Amino acid sequence: MTRVVVIGAGVSGLVAAIRLARGGAAVTLLAKGTGGLQLSQGTIDILGYAPDRVERPLDALGDFAQANPDHPYAFLDAELVGASASYVAELVGAELLVGDPAVNLQLPTAVGAVRPTALASPSMTAGACVDGAKFVIIGLKQLKDFYPELVAHNLNRTDLPGGGRLEARPVMLGFPAREGEVDSSGLTYARALDDPATRKRFAEAVKPLVAEGESVGLPAVLGLDDHNAWSDIADLIGAPVFEIPLPPPSVPGMRLNRTLTAVAKASGVRVVPGSKVTGYRSPGGSVACVQLATAGGIREFAADAFLLSTGGFESGALHADSRHNLRESIFDLPLRRPEGALVHADYWGDPQPLFLVGVETGPDLLVRHPGGDAVYDNLYAAGGILAGATRWQEKSGEGIAVASAVKAADSILAAASSATTEGAAS
Amino acid sequence: MNPSEGIEFAQTQVARASLDHCVKCTICETHCPVAAVTPKFTGPKFVGPQAERFRHGESVDHSLDYCSSCGACTLACPQGVKIAELNGQARAVMKADEMPLRDRLITQTTLMGRAMTPLAPVANAALSIKPLRTVVEKVLGIHRDAPMPHANTQTITGWLKKRTRTAPAPTRGPIVFFHGCAGGYFEVETSKKSIEVLEHLGYEVLVPKQGCCGLAEQSNGLFDGATAKVLKLCDELRSSGRDLTIISSSGSCTGMLKHEAHEIMGVDDDRLADVGTRIRDIMEFLLELHDAGELPTDFAEIPLTAVYHAPCQLKSQGMGQPAMEVLKLIPGVEAIESGATCCGIAGTYGLKKEKYEIAQAVGKPLFDKVREVNPEFAMCDTETCRWQIRKGSGAVVEHPIFLVHQAYGLS
Repeated sequence: MTRVVVIGAGVSGLVAAIRLARGGAAVTLLAKGTGGLQLSQGTIDILGYAPDRVERPLDALGDFAQANPDHPYAFLDAELVGASASYVAELVGAELLVGDPAVNLQLPTAVGAVRPTALASPSMTAGACVDGAKFVIIGLKQLKDFYPELVAHNLNRTDLPGGGRLEARPVMLGFPAREGEVDSSGLTYARALDDPATRKRFAEAVKPLVAEGESVGLPAVLGLDDHNAWSDIADLIGAPVFEIPLPPPSVPGMRLNRTLTAVAKASGVRVVPGSKVTGYRSPGGSVACVQLATAGGIREFAADAFLLSTGGFESGALHADSRHNLRESIFDLPLRRPEGALVHADYWGDPQPLFLVGVETGPDLLVRHPGGDAVYDNLYAAGGILAGATRWQEKSGEGIAVASAVKAADSILAAASSATTEGAAS
Repeated sequence: MNPSEGIEFAQTQVARASLDHCVKCTICETHCPVAAVTPKFTGPKFVGPQAERFRHGESVDHSLDYCSSCGACTLACPQGVKIAELNGQARAVMKADEMPLRDRLITQTTLMGRAMTPLAPVANAALSIKPLRTVVEKVLGIHRDAPMPHANTQTITGWLKKRTRTAPAPTRGPIVFFHGCAGGYFEVETSKKSIEVLEHLGYEVLVPKQGCCGLAEQSNGLFDGATAKVLKLCDELRSSGRDLTIISSSGSCTGMLKHEAHEIMGVDDDRLADVGTRIRDIMEFLLELHDAGELPTDFAEIPLTAVYHAPCQLKSQGMGQPAMEVLKLIPGVEAIESGATCCGIAGTYGLKKEKYEIAQAVGKPLFDKVREVNPEFAMCDTETCRWQIRKGSGAVVEHPIFLVHQAYGLS
């Protein structure tokens, strides 16, 4: 049985670990802490801006790749990206992700912007911003991360991507998450609304605020463990309900992260959280083991293949000092950096070139020297560490992450199976 | 270390180097089992990286005392902020001038074991007398319903003196066994079975005379006593041989030696560093043997489905859940991961009058899961957690080494 160590527990690490384990590998997932998926909005972005707003992301990928030959989408093609998005949706189930990877939904944000995304929680889709839609946006007085006036007024003055306008009106409702608490997080609300009795009281308070024909926009706090809490609330109110994602703690992100982590464990992945990978050994041209700094000392994890899915600068996978010396923090891998200055002073202007920094791989996701050969014959990379994408601006983060994770896992399994065949032949 | 150096360390260092790594992402908040059940604790980020900026010798947020020190926040932090350590230090500083008598008493675990063993039947009976427990609650602040250990008539030392070794002659050389106070006085069966498994594997098991690791004092902010105890223990464990592996079936005491004594109290001593790097949790050790291809897996089948709960202080050692992997090797055993962050007791936290209800609320999902999966039997690696889960669920709760022992045909 081939042994694989995956480093990093964001969406790419989790998806790759699951696919590897289900493909017959013995997988250990090492993670310094909880992955970034929990901080996400609980949606799968594929391509939102290229640079103009994208309606059909898979159709747009070909032209986008041609215009950006150094982008991960240049070797992760539309078919792979679409299939990978669908694979994640199957892993978590229709309670958490719905939609067609080929078509972007246009959903409201907590500041009332209209955000393109490919797959979303079914609790969000009634918020699709289309001509003639009527929304009542309801805030909670004790929740300080959501202002219904901001959301509704911004939506009202927006020319919608598909043309036309919608009508939204704000309402503020006092509904404490816990008795006597005047400042509650979205998570505290979500836990409270896991309880059917609290949901009933909540729906009774919301119902009189809704006018005929309106869909009800609420902060994304409608249940944490009970994935059907939102539809229960919609039934009790008797109107369509949609969740609008909040800043962290992001409840939809937590639902996805918890579910994928549970799927990984159920698939046989050994998860080792809380310690940092601080070193490795690579006699010859292969990585033999990585070194984990656990309490009490270094423990070595040997494997046949390693997948680096540690993210970008935001997670500490990449590091830049004040002189813009760049470093990949575990293997000190060669990095691809754009020509010229990495950061410019025009804050609201063009994207900062710094975001394009990352490791380069071949189409099989094996890490290579920029423009050259593989660094090691068994070290792969996936997700935010890949060079060439400005994920936050393109709204491409999850699409790159899941497609590269699936492709890397398949490359590792293929290499293992050809090694086995060769072994049998000799 | 001189008296009060620990408090001074806590006052001046407070893991501040890691403070600035906090990006306020709230991941720690979402993992905190205490903040999930009570508004009395504002959460690890609020009392930690945030409040710390306003502390100048004095605490600005007294809800800090409601932190149970489970360590889930540090474990979850993706930026490497030592949140639990920081909060443990800040609490020690906050309580330094007004330490409750109760907190000084309940931390004397060896003393409790020594006093209760000769009087085991009497002690057990006394602990079940309601009016007596009510008086104890009123006078000392230990909750009347809090789980208490069950005294044994025989200590591990007594057993070792009287028994004759049945395993074949050692083939793998000597190894040191650390049982901890609870494993010496109360959870004696766990220690016996651990020793017998190690002997079955071919080790000569050395059990030096040993005292307490000081964990309970540490988590209550009594750093001076805890420091003296942990260093004395290091001397005792080192007395058996300088390079030997040390094995423990007491998950939380292992964590004290590997991590807390150094990280929270700042004990910077070669003896501690030596013991901390040589010690292995017994399930961690068995898994290491297995990974190296050196663990016999001629296990007999045990048809059993049961919850396994990894204690917070075991998880915080950053090695995953080795027991889950070892249990997978025993045919017939289906260990269901509890999924709970903490059982609630967190050492001495759940014994305290003002925290008992919180500890029960923290443990409730775990108790429910045990009742749902197998109401008769569950597994957990640390002693106080087993007392808590036994009391909360009604199930027999034992260390996972019990199953390894049985699967090797030793029981």
